[in-house]
Amino acid sequence: AFSAGSRLLRGRGGHVVIRFALGGCTNRPFFRIVAANSRRARDGKYLEQLGCLDPLPNAHGEKVAGLNLERLRYWLGCGAQLSRPAEKLLGRPGAGAGMGTGGPGLAPALTASYRAGLAGFLPLHPMTVTGAERLRRRRQREQQPEAAPAEGSAEPGTGT
Amino acid sequence: MAALGARGSAALPARLRALWALPARRALAADAGEGKAAQPKPAFTDEAVQTLLYKMTGLDLHKVFRPVKKGLKPPHYKLMTEAQLEEATRKAIEEAKTKLIMPPVLNEREPIDDVLAEDKVLEGTETAKYVFTDLSYSIPHRERFIVVREPNGVLRKATWEERDRMIQIFFPKEGRRVIPPTLFKDENLGTVFQQDRHEDVLNMCIAQFEPDSPDYIRVHHRTYEDIEKHGKYDLLRSTRHFGGMVWYLLSRKKTDGLLIDMINRDLLDDATSLITLYHMLHPECQSAKEAKEQKLEGVDLIKVFVKTESQREGYIQLALQAYEEAMATSSAS
Repeated sequence: AFSAGSRLLRGRGGHVVIRFALGGCTNRPFFRIVAANSRRARDGKYLEQLGCLDPLPNAHGEKVAGLNLERLRYWLGCGAQLSRPAEKLLGRPGAGAGMGTGGPGLAPALTASYRAGLAGFLPLHPMTVTGAERLRRRRQREQQPEAAPAEGSAEPGTGT
Repeated sequence: MAALGARGSAALPARLRALWALPARRALAADAGEGKAAQPKPAFTDEAVQTLLYKMTGLDLHKVFRPVKKGLKPPHYKLMTEAQLEEATRKAIEEAKTKLIMPPVLNEREPIDDVLAEDKVLEGTETAKYVFTDLSYSIPHRERFIVVREPNGVLRKATWEERDRMIQIFFPKEGRRVIPPTLFKDENLGTVFQQDRHEDVLNMCIAQFEPDSPDYIRVHHRTYEDIEKHGKYDLLRSTRHFGGMVWYLLSRKKTDGLLIDMINRDLLDDATSLITLYHMLHPECQSAKEAKEQKLEGVDLIKVFVKTESQREGYIQLALQAYEEAMATSSAS
């Protein structure tokens, strides 16, 4: 048991990542936001738990998430990377030219081009914006075929 | 009520502030503006007011240390000398004093309405709102960041109810539930009052709500109203809620029932301190001016007060008469 983990950690490579560790039961996920070595198992031994996220909405219709911002700032200062979903939740470090660790209270200083991530901790991840635009375009395309047959049936009557 | 306003929290002595775990006072512009008022109105937290209220609360050891429902244990007997008994009684009185510290009376808190960011890009991507709580350990709960990201992309600060719920989820306090019990709804409070359990309701209310939340204030006011309607003042005597009740009645000038109750129980000192407090709170009323001019004491003070200020003059006169007759017969015999 002693050597099981150290085989991973021998030699060079591996870095600290802040990512979601999945827990919970069947059809009931629950994520812990965790700082761990990148070469560890997803749900394996971690360095520190920095928070949690409940992806299912509760009785009041909200998805509850807790973030230990103080320790997050420490690990980001140590050079931790963020996983893709963690970036979507928190934001993208480095895009705000050093203003990233401002925390949710710095909104009045934000300019239009600088958007806070989902939690408002770091700037918005570009994939979030792209994902939102793709979703919007897909919804528009779904609405157009419904409109087109309706217009198509009306046009032969009025057109030409 | 101006008496319970920001002036009250500004004038809080450091001892009480530490006791009620309120955050350190930050300089408020409002305080500077209010200094222009004619005469500072006494607040709930002034030393003089607190001493008077504390005297009126009484110190009935049998009631303070009445058996609380705990696990059944056989009674513990000790053999003590006179000196040891005195020592034990003194220690009991000290403990009773800590149990009788009054919970704070504050103004209702202002609703939070602060938008941090508006990201129209995120509209339509999510179906439910996200509530983010800052879990850093060393931040006082009042200063914690709790923000909500709505499905329409708006990032706003959480309302007070959301804040209380989140703080209870992540930092649970004993005796407090995440969703407040249905006991505190208006229709259910009546049932509890019929069983004379006002003190239990108030204790549960203190455990559940913050002192400046509207629910706390509503439940307390309902309880005091009910007590005043039925004259059940003795239920709260010698508990820590008595001061708050007296303060409520004084601010609304509904002190007659309490006065009658005190005279019937031969608590003349409490009656005089009640009227002194009344004069401190409402210095412009006639009986206050007369009392100050003539420097009245004791029964005369009560008589002047009854003539000018009270609504139920007849009852109070009768009670005073009965009291004086009782005094006369007891001193004669």
